[in-house]
Order: sequence, then structure tokens, then C-alpha cells
Amino acid sequence: MHTDGIINLQNVSFYRGGRAIFEDLNCAIAAGKITAIMGPSGTGKTTLLRLISGQLQPHKGQVFLFDQDMAKIKQKQLNQLRKRMGVLFQSGALFTDLSVFENVAFPLREHMNLSADDLYNRVLTQLEAVGLRGVKDFMPSQLSGGMARRVALARAVAMGPEVILYDEPFAGQDPIAMAVLQRLIKSLNDQLQLTSVLVSHDVAEAFAIADHVILLGEGRVLAQDHPDALKTSTDPAVKQFIHGEADGVIPFHYPAPALQDELRGPS
Amino acid sequence: MLRFVVDCIANLGAVLLHKLVQMGQALLMLLQATTVQPKASSLTRLIQQLYVVGVQSLIIILVSALFIGMVLGLQGFTLLSAYGSEQAVGQMVALTLVRELAPVVAALLFAGRAGSALTAEIGLMKATEQLASLEMFGIDPLHRIVAPRFWAGIISLPLLVAIFSLVGIYGGHLVAVEWLGVYSGSYWGNMQQAVDFNEDVLNGMLKALVFAFLISWIALYQGYSCLPTSQGISAATTRTVVYSSLAILGFDFILTALMFGGAV
Repeated sequence: MHTDGIINLQNVSFYRGGRAIFEDLNCAIAAGKITAIMGPSGTGKTTLLRLISGQLQPHKGQVFLFDQDMAKIKQKQLNQLRKRMGVLFQSGALFTDLSVFENVAFPLREHMNLSADDLYNRVLTQLEAVGLRGVKDFMPSQLSGGMARRVALARAVAMGPEVILYDEPFAGQDPIAMAVLQRLIKSLNDQLQLTSVLVSHDVAEAFAIADHVILLGEGRVLAQDHPDALKTSTDPAVKQFIHGEADGVIPFHYPAPALQDELRGPS
Repeated sequence: MLRFVVDCIANLGAVLLHKLVQMGQALLMLLQATTVQPKASSLTRLIQQLYVVGVQSLIIILVSALFIGMVLGLQGFTLLSAYGSEQAVGQMVALTLVRELAPVVAALLFAGRAGSALTAEIGLMKATEQLASLEMFGIDPLHRIVAPRFWAGIISLPLLVAIFSLVGIYGGHLVAVEWLGVYSGSYWGNMQQAVDFNEDVLNGMLKALVFAFLISWIALYQGYSCLPTSQGISAATTRTVVYSSLAILGFDFILTALMFGGAV
């Protein structure tokens, strides 16, 4: 049964190109917490976010969001659920034909009946929080990758969602923006009692704000615990990932024949 | 040998099945995009797309129509003057344009300019997760993105075809009357006598409508279903132009046979 958290994945299997991304994956994400989903590249962290948001359907198993089976609900119900959810995409996914202001205003115009002044003030407040009020009239093509992602964050939280999914929020950010983002994610979560799911490679940044870390590998959950507990874990996979060691139980190299066998000799 | 034949049949079957699945997906996409009750804001989006798809295609249509009309005037005059019938050049130019050249050439140009742009735009929106982002805001991208572009294509091309015919006829007039000295009254008078509104003009517009449907459908489906990579978008854009061109030429023959075949 799906009783553990606001998001539950039960016996989820997902395949791509004949390769199993997940095999009988089970995990739960608790309400009101920041949960970091971590793991080496190619372990399906972004795929997991897409399964949670209903953009992908598992080949086996069930995904529950707000106690609703994502495979069984109708499109209309899914759209309603998505209004309670914010997603920060890896690329930012800003609408390229709209200005920064209009991007942040987009969900508010679509789903809320605000007066022009209220909408303006709300958008400006969101942009101020991510430090980009000064670029409100810019087009997305005029922003750097890091700035685009901060605007996308302002847009993702504009509606006041109950759950926010962050896909690599720290990638490509300078140290100042990184620290501000960390504080922003933490304060949003604490003040608004949100549930945050954070996919990240950045161990230090994610561990600093997460209440719970789920470490993925080999299509399953390798370990999950409070960040402090994982830091002192003796599990070889956890140690290897946290300390960034190339040699260990998590292979650095994608399976391939021995290099000597592939190199060409002198002709 | 038997194994080879079986493999060939199996591969052919797999390709056919794949194509059938794609056609089913394309049909579903079209149905989902077009069977929705329009809102007030849909009109704004439609007007934006009419500008992008229709107005921005005007230059290529105007220039091509003028030159094609001029060539028709010149060729018509050369051919007809051998029989002393150069006064009939007006009706030749008009009938050729209205029945055939305007719908077909305008559609081919439209597929190259607007169709490819639609595919590339939607493909890029997919690659940059803008379509996924819309979904996550609870908005169906088929309604928001695909529908206004589809209707804009359906409305624009027949209008562009009408403009093509008019400018082409003027191009023919420039060469035949202004340059080669055909009597202006004969040019317009013969045209007025020979061109039937229902049989020629309406049938030409009906062709334009069918081509508009085909191009818009192909372009939007290719963009919506492409692989979200630079190579995938490039291949989808190429497919839009190739499939649209083949569809235009193939359907033109069928429609011509149905519309004018009995008169032969």
C-alpha cells in the first residue's frame, strides 16, 4: 500500500532501449521535507522525476502522488494534480518567445485570476527572491544558463505549489548564486511547508540542505538516510559516491572490452 | 535462401507496422489538437500564428508568383503567336495559374518556408523541454502549441494561393501586354470568358485547402514526434519538406483527375 509519503514508488521498473533503468524500485518521499535523489550519471535520476510528475509511465509497478495512482488518473485529473506541483527543469525550459517577466507570470495568468497590479507585484517579488528583478524585460536568449535556471525557479514556485521537483538546480551556478539557491530552496521548504525533491550531483550542496538522501545505482536504491548518517556510512557504494572515488563498487567505466583489445597496433 | 526471404518479409512487415503506428499517432495528435472548444485567448494565438505562418510567407509567394506569371506570359505568347492566337494568352495564363500552378507552387513554397519552420520550432520546443514545461503547468501542448499553428496553416495557404494567382496574372500581363504588345482588352476579355468561377477558381481553392491540411499536419506531427536532438530536428525538418512535396504532387494528380478528368 502507498502509505509512507506524499510520493510513493512501488516496485517500479522502467526500461529504455532494452536496458533496465529501474528494476523493482521502491522508495517514498516524505511530506514537508527536502529529499535529495543522488547517484552517478545515467542512474535515472531525471527519469525518476519524470515518473513522479507523470511525464513517463513505469513499465511495471506504481507511482503514487498525493495518494493518486499516476497510471490510473485521467488527463484532466493529472492537469489538476500538476497545478499543485512545480518543476524546475534541468535546462530551465523557459518559453523563448516570452520575456523573463512573462515567463514568471505565465502560470499565474493561466490559473489565477489576479488583478494586473497583484500579478505585477507577485512576479517582481519572485524575481527579487532569485536576484533577477533587474532582468525582467530580458528575453531568455539574453540570459546565461545559470540565470535562466533561476528565472525558471521563480516561475516554478510562483503558484505556491505543494511539491517542487528540482532537476539539477546547482549545475552551472557560480558560488554566490549556488549559496543563494541553497538558502532559497531551504527557506521555501521551511516557510511554506513544501515537499522538495532535489536531483543533484553536487554532494556538498545537496547534503547541506537535504533532510533525506536517496542514493540510486544499478536500477535500485543503494542507500537512503539522513545526510549525516550517510556521511559516516561504511557501505562501500555510499563511501565511493560521497568521496568521488573512481575505483569501487560503482563502476566509473561503462562496460567495454579491455582497452588493449580495442587499440590498433602499428600498421 | 528461405531464411533470407522470411527475414525480408518480416522486416517489411515491421516497417509497415511502424508506419501504421506512426499514422495512428499522427491522427490522434490531430484529433486531440483540433477537437477542443476555443477560448478568447485562442484567437490571439491564432492571429500571432497567422502572422508567422501566413504574412511572413508573403514575400516568397509574391516574388515567385510574379516571375512565374511573367514566364507564362512569355512562353504563352511565343507558343500561341505561332498559330496567330496570341490574344488568348490571358486565358492561358489565368487557367494555368488558377487550376494548377498557383495551388501547387504556392503549396511547395509554403511547405519549404512555413512547414519546415513549424517542424523546427516545435522540435526545438521539445528539445528545450518547453512542451514538457507546459504539461507541468497543466496545459496541453496540443491545444496550446499545435492547434493554433494547424488552423493558421489551413487559413493562410488558400489566401496565399489566391494572392499567387492574382500576382501571377499581373506578371503575365506585364510581359504579354506591356512588353510584347498583346491588346489589353483581349488579355482580360478572353480571361473573363474562359475562367469559370466554380469549376476553375473554387476547384483551385479546394486544392489549396487540401494541401494546407496535408502540409500543416505533416509539419506539426514531424515536429511533435521528432527525436529531441539537433540531428533529430534536422531529420524531421527534412522529412516535412520531402513528405509534404510528395503529398502535394500526388494529391494534385488525384484532385485534378477528379475535378477536371471528366472534361478530357
